[in-house]
Amino acid sequence: MRDYHGIIFAYHDEPALRDLTANRTAASLPFCSRYRLIDFALSSLRNAGILDVGVIMQRDYQSLLDHIGSSKAWDMSRKSGGLRMLPPFGLPQYHTGNYNGTIEALNAVATYIRRIPQKHVVLLLGNMAANIDLDAVIRQHEKAGTDATAICAGQGLESLHSNYILGEDGLVQYIDLFRTGEAKGIPSLEGYIFKKDKLLELMDVCQTRNLFRFHQDAITYFLNEAGGKMDVYVHPGYAKIIRSVDEYYEASRDVLTPAVRHELFPADRPVRTKIHEDVSTYYGEQAVSRNSLVGDNCIIEGEIEDCIVFSGCHIGVGAKLKGCILMRHCVVEPGARLEYVIADKAARFSENSVLIGSPKLPTVVPKDEHI
Amino acid sequence: MKKSCIAMLLAGGQGSRLYALTQNVAKPSVPFGGKYRIIDFPLSNCANSGIDTVGVLTQYKPLQLNSYIGTGQPWDLDVSDGGVYILPPYLGAHEQGSWFTGTANAIYQNLAFIENYDPENVLILSGDHIYKMDYAKMLKEHLEKDAACTIAVLQVSLEEATRFGIMNVGEDGYVSEFEEKPKHPKSDLASMGIYIFNWQKLRKYLIEDEADPNSSKDFGKNIIPNMLKNGEKLWPYRFDGYWRDVGTITSLWDANMDMLSTTLINLYDPDWPISSRSPVCPPHYTGKKAEIVHSIVTEGCEIEGHVENSVLSPSVRVGEGAKVLYSVLMPGAVVEPGATVEYAIVGENTVIKAGAHVGAEPDGTDAWGVATCGPDITIREGAVIPAAAMIYTGEEV
Repeated sequence: MRDYHGIIFAYHDEPALRDLTANRTAASLPFCSRYRLIDFALSSLRNAGILDVGVIMQRDYQSLLDHIGSSKAWDMSRKSGGLRMLPPFGLPQYHTGNYNGTIEALNAVATYIRRIPQKHVVLLLGNMAANIDLDAVIRQHEKAGTDATAICAGQGLESLHSNYILGEDGLVQYIDLFRTGEAKGIPSLEGYIFKKDKLLELMDVCQTRNLFRFHQDAITYFLNEAGGKMDVYVHPGYAKIIRSVDEYYEASRDVLTPAVRHELFPADRPVRTKIHEDVSTYYGEQAVSRNSLVGDNCIIEGEIEDCIVFSGCHIGVGAKLKGCILMRHCVVEPGARLEYVIADKAARFSENSVLIGSPKLPTVVPKDEHI
Repeated sequence: MKKSCIAMLLAGGQGSRLYALTQNVAKPSVPFGGKYRIIDFPLSNCANSGIDTVGVLTQYKPLQLNSYIGTGQPWDLDVSDGGVYILPPYLGAHEQGSWFTGTANAIYQNLAFIENYDPENVLILSGDHIYKMDYAKMLKEHLEKDAACTIAVLQVSLEEATRFGIMNVGEDGYVSEFEEKPKHPKSDLASMGIYIFNWQKLRKYLIEDEADPNSSKDFGKNIIPNMLKNGEKLWPYRFDGYWRDVGTITSLWDANMDMLSTTLINLYDPDWPISSRSPVCPPHYTGKKAEIVHSIVTEGCEIEGHVENSVLSPSVRVGEGAKVLYSVLMPGAVVEPGATVEYAIVGENTVIKAGAHVGAEPDGTDAWGVATCGPDITIREGAVIPAAAMIYTGEEV
């Protein structure tokens, strides 16, 4: 057993994801034709042999529960240890409203954290598209011997907040939470390895002072007052935290690029997910499929370009789709024309219907909607 | 615990007429129809028919089959009071025991397994047929007709009948005569190699047959004729759906092509899913210049070239400018840019290098046939593999 325990934050209910998170958390957002975002965190842990994992959830978690199931898909259905779902327990205040911050979310499941038998805790966001090599993070963490290691982005993340600035010793000197003008430092992916004792200390201090936030309160205390030492691991591959429809659409489009796909799905660190589909996808006599990702169990008879199609979709003859995301079981009837549309599960588009969004502002069609 | 019916699946055959494709694996684990392996069909049929206890008899090169079946979870056959069991031949005390010497002997050697469940009936299946069948209906008829054995039969043309075991039926509807590959068939009811036996009767005939030194220990040659001779009631269960034996290269290729048509066999029917162990790859990607017409494609594939009338298994790659026509590509096969594969079966992880040409269009001659490359082969750049060729693993081409 590794001396590491995983904690995934899956409680976020991002308002900027609008209808996409009406009935689910950001972590259970369907992504890339067959996955949900939390698959990345779960698979990163699994691929590093970390099978004892707590998933912090607060509300709207039905789809998350359904997706994780017995957690067998990630080998986390264990006789000893394994995956635990962590809805709020303990104080009644945690059952109402949203968690004010990550520290409050951790405090809501404090008894669980205290009982973690491992010495180190790996904290990961559930709503991030990144395949993190935690073996490499752990190697670096152990070599540095610090209380904490922050997982940061090596590329592409133009974050305006939570950037780490390093000192001459190569360790974190301070954190830049907000900055007007040009960003500096290394953007945080909000993933960490903490010594469990240190993490509990931060939780207690924040609880005492009635503080809730991870970066603003806990990390600032850790670096400034407690004199904590924190190393930084720079994740070399693709990474994107998904908090808005724009970010979701952008990340989905990014996956169409082979380089991004190979960073998210490397052969030696597979992304595992719940398996639904048992049958291949059929392309009809008049089908055209260009620069698209398509799940299984689809029937494609029309034309798709720059699309992400989830499993179980049916695209009729003569239908034309460009730049669309169709979640599971969507039906596009013959002759329909869709551009820059994000259709949630089981949406249906009638014959010859037309719906045009824009690449900057894709149109979101809610679950089960009939257009 | 007593069961009404358990299944015994004969999966030990070599499948020697698949040549290179079964050089290192048993026939039931040969990839089929995109996401499947042949054994997915009988296993899924069992699960869908409510038969939750299946013994899989293995013998020839079982490694891949064993790991594929695993706990039986993909077919929901991982249940606590039954499930799927791999039953290899074994040795007993004083080195008694042997390889399975025939289909009946294979069951005989596993009497102890069957008796664990003390079933009323035993369903005998083979692992090399593609079909969807509700065994519960067959069992119902078996019980209604109070038969010692019910044999699933398919109506075939009289020409075809010469290749099958043929059931002749009396006026009462029961089987009156059984002829193996008759020259002049008297009936068009062909045995599908699917039997339900009353277990107590079968047990008796198996023990008697085992004691007969002249018997070839085979269901079709010995058990069924012996039962007929003794006046047991044998009922023909008429099946009229899609059923194919995929024991030869041509029939395997033909049946794969059938999967492109939903009217022959509908694999998209949510009420009768054929399940498989999924490799969990990313979704398939179709490139900017890809053309995919009348084909099935599945997870992990990356298609940049032209694919037409073909069946692609997981993680197949087709490079830019490559052509794949009327072909079956097994998991992990790679067709490099500019290569052509037509009327061919390409085995697992075989690489067709740039500019190579595998197979050829039918030319109307008897010499024509589907070209086959076994698994783990590299066909070198610019090589030409003619129609009907058979390339084995380890060959330099």
